[in-house]
Amino acid sequence: MVHNNLNLYFDNAATSWPKPEAVYKAPEKQMRQAYGNPGRSGHTHTLESDRLLYQAREAIGRLYNFSDPGRLVFALNATDALNMAIKGFLNPDDHVLYTAMDHNSVLRPLGRLRRDGLISTTMIPCSGQGYPDLDFFEKAFRDNTSLLVINHASNVTGTIAPLKEMIESAHRRGVKVLVDAAQTAGVIPIDVLNENIDLLAFTGHKGLFGPTGTGGLYVAPWIDLKPLREGGTGSQSEIDIHPESMPERLEAGTLNSVGLAGLLEGVNFILETGVEEIHRKESELRDYLYEQLQNTGGLTLYGPASSSQSVAVLSFTLDGADCGEIGYILESSYGILCRTGLHCAPLAHQAIGTFPEGTVRLSPGYFSSQDDLDYLVNAVREIVQLASE
Amino acid sequence: MASSCYITFPSTFFAIRAESVLKGQSYFFKMVPVPRSISSSCGTALRCECEDITTLKDRLLQSDLELEGFYRLEEKGLKKPVVTELYLDDQETR
Repeated sequence: MVHNNLNLYFDNAATSWPKPEAVYKAPEKQMRQAYGNPGRSGHTHTLESDRLLYQAREAIGRLYNFSDPGRLVFALNATDALNMAIKGFLNPDDHVLYTAMDHNSVLRPLGRLRRDGLISTTMIPCSGQGYPDLDFFEKAFRDNTSLLVINHASNVTGTIAPLKEMIESAHRRGVKVLVDAAQTAGVIPIDVLNENIDLLAFTGHKGLFGPTGTGGLYVAPWIDLKPLREGGTGSQSEIDIHPESMPERLEAGTLNSVGLAGLLEGVNFILETGVEEIHRKESELRDYLYEQLQNTGGLTLYGPASSSQSVAVLSFTLDGADCGEIGYILESSYGILCRTGLHCAPLAHQAIGTFPEGTVRLSPGYFSSQDDLDYLVNAVREIVQLASE
Repeated sequence: MASSCYITFPSTFFAIRAESVLKGQSYFFKMVPVPRSISSSCGTALRCECEDITTLKDRLLQSDLELEGFYRLEEKGLKKPVVTELYLDDQETR
């Protein structure tokens, strides 16, 4: 019984789907009606593209509470933004703190710099529930520690990091903080001003409902990053040095105005709906899923029991079963789409004890319904039953 | 011959930001391609009435904008205009 229902999609932690209707329409409108190269020519189409990018920066500023749209640099995705932040911020001999819940988008740029002998790093271990060991963290700072990278919420367990506490601790020692909001942008309120966030990296295609190939990096006014890429900006063209003023300093080449038209609509949808409302609904779904699956024999659930400490991500394993096989059965027999394996976060799996097999990850979204969840719960229970026979 | 005045910007970001700041206010202005007779870092300039240019400059600087230059152009039909660079008595902008 294969179901081709939109709402049997439980892989929103990978990319959100479906999107608000306006997100589908805006990129087409941008290409058909005002397709100019932003920043380049000065004619009407170019200006319309420029305005669109400006509006997108402003809307993201409203979402994260910053007033200067020039502090928002567009990126391809969270990985791109994290690379810009890490490689643009660090200097030789710097020491960096990160957590076991970090994604390869943090682990690999740090790993490259460490292997090249440029920096040193310390990983803060995490509990089986995905919480960073704060006692270890407090003792991990060194004289040359310059950056703390915080995984705001894990893409494996959903665990929300104690952001406020960790930021305060880092700032007391003069250490700057990069927040990886890949799983939280658009689904948990983020206030860069009041939370004193120095750098915030996010993707556009998950919680912000935008298309793939969109994302961004918020850079606080007191942070100066070295640019990773330099080139055409449409400004100061006679000089062979890349412009210094933000956001051009960190942006080069033609921006993805088509994708960003979609992202703007995604962010507008969130601003109209309210992040709190989105979080409330997703929390209900996650709590329900946890409650329904927690006492199922043979099934192990990972991450916090309550959605107050988690985003809408729930990983599980089934005794003796291969998670890839479970994923295959969920799709082929039930039409349920989810993700299985390591989810690009190997250290997180070591922390929760699921390395190297990984987990089955269920991630409902704002558009998932109670009926969808009941159908999913029933499917998982049937698979558990099948495995026990 | 008619004169109009121009404000130029170090980047398109600031040109669009200027438009956004002034939008809905009572000034008459328009975002236009920079005339070839003016040198500018960015291809878009703000054209305004010459009597408004100091007020607009002040308003934009209050909003933390980076501005590049100020010009008056005396237009002579299709012939090259006469360009005068204006020094609006503000160290921050020059």
